[in-house]
Amino acid sequence: MQVIIFSWEFPPRIVGELANYVKSLAVQLVKSNVETHVVTYHDYLTGPREEPEGTKTHRITNPVRTHIGVLTWVLTLNQEVERTAANIYYDAKKQTDLIDAHDWHFIPAAVTLKKALNIPFIYSVESLEEHRSHGANSPFNMAIKSIEWLGLYEAKKAIVKSEWMRDEATRIYKVPTDKIKVIPPKSTAWMKTVLQTYKSVAGGAISK
Amino acid sequence: MDENRLTNLQERRRRRNLQVTQELTVMMFTWEFPPRIIGGISPHVYHLSKSMAKNDVKVYVVTCDFPGAPQHEVLDEVEVFRIDSYKNPAPNFATWVYLMNMNMQKEAAALVKSLGGKVDVFHAHDWLVANVGIGLKHVFRKPLLATIHSTEIGRRNGIHSDYERMIHETEAWLTYEAWKVICCSDYMVSHVRWAFGLPEDKLVMIPNGVNAQQYTKNKNTNLSQFRRKFALPEEKIVLFVGRLVYEKGIHVFVNAVPKVSEKVNAKFVIVGNGYMKEPLSKLVKSMGLAHKVTFTGFVDDETLGNLQRCADVCVVPSLFEPFGIVALEAMAAKSPVVVSDTGGLSEIVEHDVTGVKVYPDNPDSLAWGITKVLLDENYANRLKNNAHKRVQQNYDWDKISQQTKAVYKAVLKEYSKSFWA
Repeated sequence: MQVIIFSWEFPPRIVGELANYVKSLAVQLVKSNVETHVVTYHDYLTGPREEPEGTKTHRITNPVRTHIGVLTWVLTLNQEVERTAANIYYDAKKQTDLIDAHDWHFIPAAVTLKKALNIPFIYSVESLEEHRSHGANSPFNMAIKSIEWLGLYEAKKAIVKSEWMRDEATRIYKVPTDKIKVIPPKSTAWMKTVLQTYKSVAGGAISK
Repeated sequence: MDENRLTNLQERRRRRNLQVTQELTVMMFTWEFPPRIIGGISPHVYHLSKSMAKNDVKVYVVTCDFPGAPQHEVLDEVEVFRIDSYKNPAPNFATWVYLMNMNMQKEAAALVKSLGGKVDVFHAHDWLVANVGIGLKHVFRKPLLATIHSTEIGRRNGIHSDYERMIHETEAWLTYEAWKVICCSDYMVSHVRWAFGLPEDKLVMIPNGVNAQQYTKNKNTNLSQFRRKFALPEEKIVLFVGRLVYEKGIHVFVNAVPKVSEKVNAKFVIVGNGYMKEPLSKLVKSMGLAHKVTFTGFVDDETLGNLQRCADVCVVPSLFEPFGIVALEAMAAKSPVVVSDTGGLSEIVEHDVTGVKVYPDNPDSLAWGITKVLLDENYANRLKNNAHKRVQQNYDWDKISQQTKAVYKAVLKEYSKSFWA
């Protein structure tokens, strides 16, 4: 199985909790014989490289250096994510099984790749704008929410880390409960459940 | 069915399709397409696609939606797809553009896939569709072409804020990712080279076109009757057409009004809207010339065409002008033109032969040019006859679409040798 993980943070770039979580996820996947690529942002450590634990990281930078906010920054970065993921896909003779997109940042790329190349994706929800913005509803927050909604709508499955988050995603975005898989990171069955979920989604991939 | 047989079938179907379809398929991205008209890109893409379709190019246009316009339609053999472009709330215009690109890319990706990937080139018009073009280029591994109609650094006369720099860098990114960059004048070619540091062989000059027939179509309109709606029979009509914004030099035009009025009895008709409308109409009032100047706002195509036909002179006083389509339209409508000697206008107009060129940003010079044309009827007639001939020779859409097709073919030839092919 070949998986591409999208995450806007990955060590050594640590913004919050997500970076180290994605790193441990990637390392465990490699141990379970999954070919794992991580596409992430880094300002100067750019390009593809092999990490010691066997994951392949692809660090990209923003082709547009100046921005007026995180939204425009994210939205231009997505084309670089698409470029990198497409390169992995074509190098792998179109055998990419799925994309696991962490949080909303690279959802636009995941959606395009799904529509264009038939690669299904999972949306792994770390947090939602509703909670981050404390109910603020400016056009800025609503734009991010619209991307989160798009992700949950287009994803084959969503992975959340708690039952509370599952209920919140259902409440805010009206996602059917059976589309959401709860996988607590510290649980003993963590990796096993992640792999099961990946397999159920990868089943939909059509190799061309 | 076993796999071999399936592959054979698919292969045969593929070959059969190749024979019957047009020799080339292009997908154009544009943020405006009729009936959505904001600036010059909309008519440009419309005429270009239409004449390309006549020259055996299969054209798909993916564009923004417009109230009342269908999501999908076939217009003169051009397949037009309109996407939901106001789906996402956005805090400002540039963010709206990037979000619109996200939606356009999603729809266009599905469209290309539904066509079995049978698109040969992507063609993006301006930074407003940079993301969709660049993303799909890499995802489908097809060549991307860009037409740069205008630049942020030119529109704003420099880069003054992060907002403007972001747009400037997005434009640079588009030209970097494009296989070839098309500009509509020699001036724009050198401007774009300077602005983004591009190699010379990446740039192609293909002029903008004008549809000369549209001015002969409505011949049955009674022009002298139409004219009376705007001016007294003894008044000459001086026409300005354009957005009422700084770079179009509309303030220069208004400041030339009293200088021309000293010598000629004329009515100044200003067509278009923009943020300078209010301050300028106040200025006209304070000059005591409100009865000599008419602000019409935005008018429909027919009224515009008739105005251009009955104008005694059309004035294009722009400070920055990548091409200057209004000058070309006036020439096609057989109206003499007075233009500022800048940008694309310098190339369209030959001084004393097809029009009058004046110093940019100089009301005295502009007034001199307008007065010269209005007072010398023989001179004006000579200019407009020469200009009309020149338009038919050089700015014909059929010719332009053939030049564009030749660029596609050259790019595809290079592409066929690349590892993407």
